[in-house]
Amino acid sequence: MEAKSILLAESRKAKRNKIYSGGILYLIMILLAVILLFPYAYMVSKSLMTSEEVVDPRIKLFPAVPQIANYLTLFIETNYLKATLNTLFIILFNLIAVPLSASLVAFSFAKLRWKGRNLMFALMLGTMMLPAVVTQLPLYIIYAKLGWIDTLFPFTIPNLFGGGALYIFLLRQFMMGIPKDMDNAAKIDGASALRRFWSITFPLCKPVLIYVMVNVFIAYWGDYYGPLVYMHSSNAPKTLAYVVFIDSTDKDSATYKSNMRMAGGVFMSVIPAILFAIFQKQLIEGVIMTGIKD
Amino acid sequence: MKGFNSSKIKKFIDENYTGWLFNMPLAVGLLVFTFIPVIYSLVFSLNDDIFILNGNVTMTFIGLKNYVKIFAEDREMGKVIINTVIYTLVSIPLNLVASYFLALLVNTKLKGVEAFRVFYYLPCMIPAVVGGLLWKDMFDTTYGVFNKMLGFIGLGPFQFFSNEKTALSSVFLMNMWGIGGGMILWLSAFKNIGRHYYEAAELDGANAWVKLINITIPMSTSMIFFNIITSVIGTLQYNGTLTFASRDGRGPENSLYMYAVKIYREAFEKDNMGYACSLAWILLIVIGLITVLLFSTSKWVFYGEET
Repeated sequence: MEAKSILLAESRKAKRNKIYSGGILYLIMILLAVILLFPYAYMVSKSLMTSEEVVDPRIKLFPAVPQIANYLTLFIETNYLKATLNTLFIILFNLIAVPLSASLVAFSFAKLRWKGRNLMFALMLGTMMLPAVVTQLPLYIIYAKLGWIDTLFPFTIPNLFGGGALYIFLLRQFMMGIPKDMDNAAKIDGASALRRFWSITFPLCKPVLIYVMVNVFIAYWGDYYGPLVYMHSSNAPKTLAYVVFIDSTDKDSATYKSNMRMAGGVFMSVIPAILFAIFQKQLIEGVIMTGIKD
Repeated sequence: MKGFNSSKIKKFIDENYTGWLFNMPLAVGLLVFTFIPVIYSLVFSLNDDIFILNGNVTMTFIGLKNYVKIFAEDREMGKVIINTVIYTLVSIPLNLVASYFLALLVNTKLKGVEAFRVFYYLPCMIPAVVGGLLWKDMFDTTYGVFNKMLGFIGLGPFQFFSNEKTALSSVFLMNMWGIGGGMILWLSAFKNIGRHYYEAAELDGANAWVKLINITIPMSTSMIFFNIITSVIGTLQYNGTLTFASRDGRGPENSLYMYAVKIYREAFEKDNMGYACSLAWILLIVIGLITVLLFSTSKWVFYGEET
């Protein structure tokens, strides 16, 4: 009887300990979430403040009256709208060009047999290790010779040629996992390589293609360095990331019009966040795929 | 004999042209956008006064003078190299360790834990240029929200990016914001480790530390190694200071002046294209040596099986 009650008390104690430790874990997790999300919330809040509020020396976490008009001003009075359209044009082009050209090349590595395949594959993997700065400077000269500086060409045309070693590699890995039976059956039926690519392999690559497309979107949406190198003249077309970059480096960022800059920042962050919300699964799998290549 | 040869050639073409045709975008792309630029880069690094006049490139050959300048004449280089080395040596391990503990925290079956994983990963989705804008704003000495809060409890003001002594540490602090990416990699590594290893260790009375040293780390080496290699390549080329550091990315007293920013400045702000190319080649050689060193000290690398 006594033993039983001791046992009961023990298990109750264990249960209580478990609840305590669970509670502490939640507390730490919530604290970390607050710390990691605070900058984002602060950016949203500051983007809704008046120009007087942002220079107020007191702590101001929230605007007295949210200035939604800041966002309208951003698009009407500045070059944000034009810059967004330029960015979207680059993205639209690459959303088609990159998946198509990368999967054509990946198909040649995964599903076709030809002399030179291993050599090309090794060469491609070799370029993945090559620092971008090595090719970037001579590319500037080459583009200048072609008359591509201050145009959108450096951000579009090169992507017709494979779209990037990493994407080809991921697509090739995925295609190798597709059973050969279907491909072989189509081959016996006399289907050409192009037909087998277009009607069998390409559609089956949908999960990786989504990852590639979301990544292409995010990469070009946030690219400020490319335009800084290839499109920095005052009369060149501007991209959104470049405008945000110039605005943030031009003046003392915490004071002059920082509410407007924050509005630009919020606009730039919301789109990737929405993409993440929709394609969370593919993106996380993609991070893992590119992080562990085996 | 001749007929035999030409039929052999025809057979070779018949068997291989489809593959090459599909591969053509890459073959042309590698040639035009990688190999030719790499050779150009090497040539430029041996030249000075590189200009484009009416579509023609003119330059003056100066031999290895650019390379001599890097190590013997350029007074900025010392600071740039020290900054880049410190940044690489601190930020990579810091990120690996911090993201490991974050992954450990959310590697439970508690209710709602998935939502926290999303919260922690979310900062990684914010474009770098916005991150720079935001942290520069929050770290401002006078108007920044951190100094206002610290002032409220009687501390500060701290100068963060605006003081040469605290600038680099502030970058490490800022980078902690992005540990969600590393967390995801760790979580997937945990997932690949069988439960039974831990159960066996627990039966032997192993504590959390022993499990970390003897199971988790050894079983995650492939992920760690691959990550270290890509991080080293990426971090040595880090130019993010352009978005938040004063003096066009150099920071006070060059305290945030990184190697990649140096290349950018020499090429595009000082018009020293040849010198910038020699800097890029030194970086290429260093990255190559580090990669070889890392690969030779680890026995893993596996790029999928041949069909």
